Amino acid sequence: MTVSSVVVVGGGIAGVSTVAELRKNGYAGELTLLTIDPFPYDRPPLSKDYLLGAKDLESIALQAPEWYSEQRIDLVPGLVVALDPAAGTVTLSDGLELSADRIVLATGGHSLWPDVERVVTERLDRPPAGLGIPRSTTGIHTLRSAEDADALRHVLLPGARLLVVGAGLIGAEVASTARKLGSEVVLVDPADPPIAAAVGTQVAAWLHSLHAVHGVEAVTATVEKLESTRAGVVAHIAGETEPRTFDAVLLAVGMAPDTAVAKAAGLEVDNGVVVDDHQVTTHPKVLAVGDCSRRRGHRRAEHWEAAVHDGQRAARTILGIDPPAETVHWFWTDRYGLHVEVVGEMRSPDGDHQTVVRGVVGEPPFSVFTLRGERVIGAVAVDDPNAVRAARRMIDRGVDVRASDLADPAKNLRSLLRG
Amino acid sequence: MTGNSGNGGNSSGIRVASLDDIPEGEGIAISSKITGTEDDIAILRDDDGTCWALNDTCTHETASLAEGWVEDGDVECPLHSSRFNLKTGKVDGLPATVDTVPHRVEVRDGEIYLFPGERP
Ligand SMILES: Cc1cc2nc3c(=O)[nH]c(=O)nc-3n(C[C@H](O)[C@H](O)[C@H](O)COP(=O)(O)OP(=O)(O)OC[C@H]3O[C@@H](n4cnc5c(N)ncnc54)[C@H](O)[C@@H]3O)c2cc1C
Repeated sequence: MTVSSVVVVGGGIAGVSTVAELRKNGYAGELTLLTIDPFPYDRPPLSKDYLLGAKDLESIALQAPEWYSEQRIDLVPGLVVALDPAAGTVTLSDGLELSADRIVLATGGHSLWPDVERVVTERLDRPPAGLGIPRSTTGIHTLRSAEDADALRHVLLPGARLLVVGAGLIGAEVASTARKLGSEVVLVDPADPPIAAAVGTQVAAWLHSLHAVHGVEAVTATVEKLESTRAGVVAHIAGETEPRTFDAVLLAVGMAPDTAVAKAAGLEVDNGVVVDDHQVTTHPKVLAVGDCSRRRGHRRAEHWEAAVHDGQRAARTILGIDPPAETVHWFWTDRYGLHVEVVGEMRSPDGDHQTVVRGVVGEPPFSVFTLRGERVIGAVAVDDPNAVRAARRMIDRGVDVRASDLADPAKNLRSLLRG
Repeated sequence: MTGNSGNGGNSSGIRVASLDDIPEGEGIAISSKITGTEDDIAILRDDDGTCWALNDTCTHETASLAEGWVEDGDVECPLHSSRFNLKTGKVDGLPATVDTVPHRVEVRDGEIYLFPGERP
């Protein structure tokens, strides 16, 4: 049966990549993109330039408004509340039902709440209606949507006291942006250093040390209790005798995939909607892509590019054409004006690997490679993105390299790639 | 990098560099002061040795395409890996959604000549 209608649920980068790839490869049937956002926009700037106020929502749109009509994509506002895989239907919160030959779930996820005791003694006043300023009435924030970012920016005034719980990628980015805005920041995380698994201990420790350099108080501890009062949020940090009061708290301890609709429909869900190597769920009419999904036998990726690739793969599955070439996972993060990129794994599961530094850790530009035998398995670069681009190709193509060549900044990495 | 020595006007192009100045797979940026265009122009050398020119600033966020990775007819932005077609300037990969502007280049006797504002 050729597919003549597709409904994509969720207008993040995964959903938009799916519809774009369908049209790019000649799909001429009906195509609907459902989302609860005003229009599909990009999330990475939410902790960076958008939070800073250097970019507005229009400038982080994933596609120009006219693109959807040019590509004959029905962009439909709405929240999907139910899915019937066998019938091929989705139901929106207003009761509208849509049916299609294939349904693609691209619902992303939501911020996790840490295991912290929360007490609301008194809520803050709501801002006057009509100002268009969303605001947390408890002083406690998370960051996943543009609305979340608006609410947070509203309180990040010069001198405001911000507590960031979790020093992972998003927590660290917000700490950096908040300092630029002149806020005082305390950053709490029990891990020392955080993100060591992603970037390796050496780079993680140096990146974490930058917080203090930029006036952020980094505390290695857990937060035990948050109390919302009229004076602010009172935080009890483990090991400290006196609680501290903040104007706002950001919880940045990770995300959880949005899988409720899939689960209720009887699809297999296990830390994400479980899909096969073609992005197909346990029902052949339903596919899943991006942060809401997890490929069987793989870790769930929570990065931008992985979501793009999922969307491309799903589109090609629907059209019955070859999938895009597999590539090792890649992401970037920015803090304190530094651009960090990571590809692959900085640690091998059995610990049998070698770490090779190119340049000097702490003096950008530099990069660090993880080698297993003569094969690169991962790399991290600070302000040296082409080192990661070279590493990615070494990994994808299985090129043998020598540690001494990688470590020599005079050696052109491209020439190593040519073998 | 070589400047605008021997700027012969647009009829014969602006000599911007020697071919040997740009390794295959890399690029250099030519200042808008030399090109007379609004943006700087990136001279990009594909891994097959051919030379191309595009507006230097990525259309997504401020980054220099001359510092990107050039391969297989595309340049990949050093910041978020948006990809642009070397010949047409068209977006070949997100996050950029706006095409960039290509310019004509010519290689004569091992020297690269740029024709700002002319289509390849
Ligand atoms: C603040 C922040 C900064 C980040 N920075 C980086 C970075 O620097 N580098 C990087 O690689 N990655 C970064 N990421 C991660 C990256 O943004 C995500 O991996 C990516 O957004 C995943 O895309 P997605 O389309 O799967 O999900 P999402 O972007 O979450 O999109 C899902 C969409 O589905 C909609 N939706 C959900 N449920 C329903 C429903 N039932 N009905 C209708 N619509 C629904 C949602 O409203 C949303 O629009 C960042 C993420 C955040 C939050």
